[in-house]
Amino acid sequence: MKPKILTVDDSKTIRLIVTKAFKPFDVEVFEASNGVEGLAVAAREKPDVIILDITMPIMDGAECLSKLKAHPELKNIPIVMLTAESGRENVLRIAKMGVRDYLVKPFKEDLLVERIGRIIELKAKGEGTVRAKRFDDPISLLVVDDKPAILDQMRSGMSDTPWKVEGRTQTGEAVDYCSQQQPDAILVSLSLPDNAGFTLFQMFRASAKTKKTPIFGLCVKTAADDQLRAQQVGFTGVITKPLDIDDVKSKICRALNLDTSYKYFAQRDGVLVMTLPANFNPNVANEIGLNLRPKVAEAVDSGLGRMIVDLSQVRTADVNLVKLILSAMQLCSELALKQRIVGTALVVQECRNYEESKDWQFSATYEAALNDINNAALAAAA
Amino acid sequence: MLSMNVEPQPPVSMQPNGEAHIASAVGFSGTMTGVVYLYTSASFGRQIAASMLGLEENEVDADEMVNDVMGEIANMVVGNFKSGLCDRGYSCALTIPSIVRGSHFTVEPISSTERKVYHYICRNRPLVVEVLLKIGEAPRGR
Repeated sequence: MKPKILTVDDSKTIRLIVTKAFKPFDVEVFEASNGVEGLAVAAREKPDVIILDITMPIMDGAECLSKLKAHPELKNIPIVMLTAESGRENVLRIAKMGVRDYLVKPFKEDLLVERIGRIIELKAKGEGTVRAKRFDDPISLLVVDDKPAILDQMRSGMSDTPWKVEGRTQTGEAVDYCSQQQPDAILVSLSLPDNAGFTLFQMFRASAKTKKTPIFGLCVKTAADDQLRAQQVGFTGVITKPLDIDDVKSKICRALNLDTSYKYFAQRDGVLVMTLPANFNPNVANEIGLNLRPKVAEAVDSGLGRMIVDLSQVRTADVNLVKLILSAMQLCSELALKQRIVGTALVVQECRNYEESKDWQFSATYEAALNDINNAALAAAA
Repeated sequence: MLSMNVEPQPPVSMQPNGEAHIASAVGFSGTMTGVVYLYTSASFGRQIAASMLGLEENEVDADEMVNDVMGEIANMVVGNFKSGLCDRGYSCALTIPSIVRGSHFTVEPISSTERKVYHYICRNRPLVVEVLLKIGEAPRGR
């Protein structure tokens, strides 16, 4: 159920601003223009939080608050007071009223969202219902590092993807950026002066906009203390310098649960084709491994009974590759899929060095594999 | 909240010139009594409303919207002014905002009232804050 917010203010302007501030979030906002209306709406809707103005006609905020606190069903609803008066006396008076928080007008919308986000969980609209993002979607990354070379490396490393890298060298700039934009993932240097990277992490986690955004710490491989501290305080992960761009992409993909399967799996010619890239490495093996079972199951579910593993781009067959093909072959056997492997003579020879490959059937080209697998299927049917 | 920079500037004439103006007023009453007027041209009032509500100017389709924004700004300005008074021992309460519109009006103080006029500029448009004060009994200990 969506959280409910009630704004009680005689000013239509303030009610509009409050409603607009929460528009990006999956919440219901109710309005009332004075204390009497506010009590009625509160009793009807049982909101999760009430934003209550003090100076109002008919029934002011102070009286409305005392009536809410005296009502057995409404007394526990958190109240955030809005006031145009920032004086000591007024602040003390508000504090004594038993409110959860207060904001002095004029206030920034972001501040209002942040304060309310401390009381109720604010989820972005559509969160959880949008389709899974793919690796080739325009992902936005915020990189906070005072070393311009790192920002340059990140930009050039991501240039073969549609990902956008925003670099900031100061934490204040990063906070400003996040008040306007919502990056998909954030990378923060752990070696910024005065522990600023850790402070920034806490600020991002305290903000409703970024509290769920994956945040990675950036540090040199040898900075074990920083890595340990980052894990303890709850960073999503640590990316070490010098940067291994494939490793960075892989970690971001995992954190954002990006769909990368389309790069390796395709259904064509009535066959499930798993293509291994030239830059096959442990990260790629991991990505393919995670997608292997669901993709094969999906193919079987859609009526396909054949699979080709295409190694024609692979330069050499190492143990990671052999392990992956072994998993694929076992899965094919489990689900009764006909299979063939395409590979160069060198790769075939390297695979043959492993005992596990003795039952694997190789073809020289994709076309030959397709032909062989179709013939095998026909023979089995006959 | 308003997303506009306001700078003090030397006094400019705000005498009636036929252009439509809007004045929002909030009063305060107590140990110190008075009223604060905030006034500018009606067209700039519309720009202010658009900026505060995050709308395009042509989306501000009613004077009521401008009135509400100008009243709320006066409320914030006077609320902060009142806080300063209260912290100095001059306790008082605010009135609800009111709006005056027209092209041929002036605000005149009566003889026993102290008058202060502050001129500001915002997006090259004049904005005036006028404070009319009637000082009552001094707070105790002052």
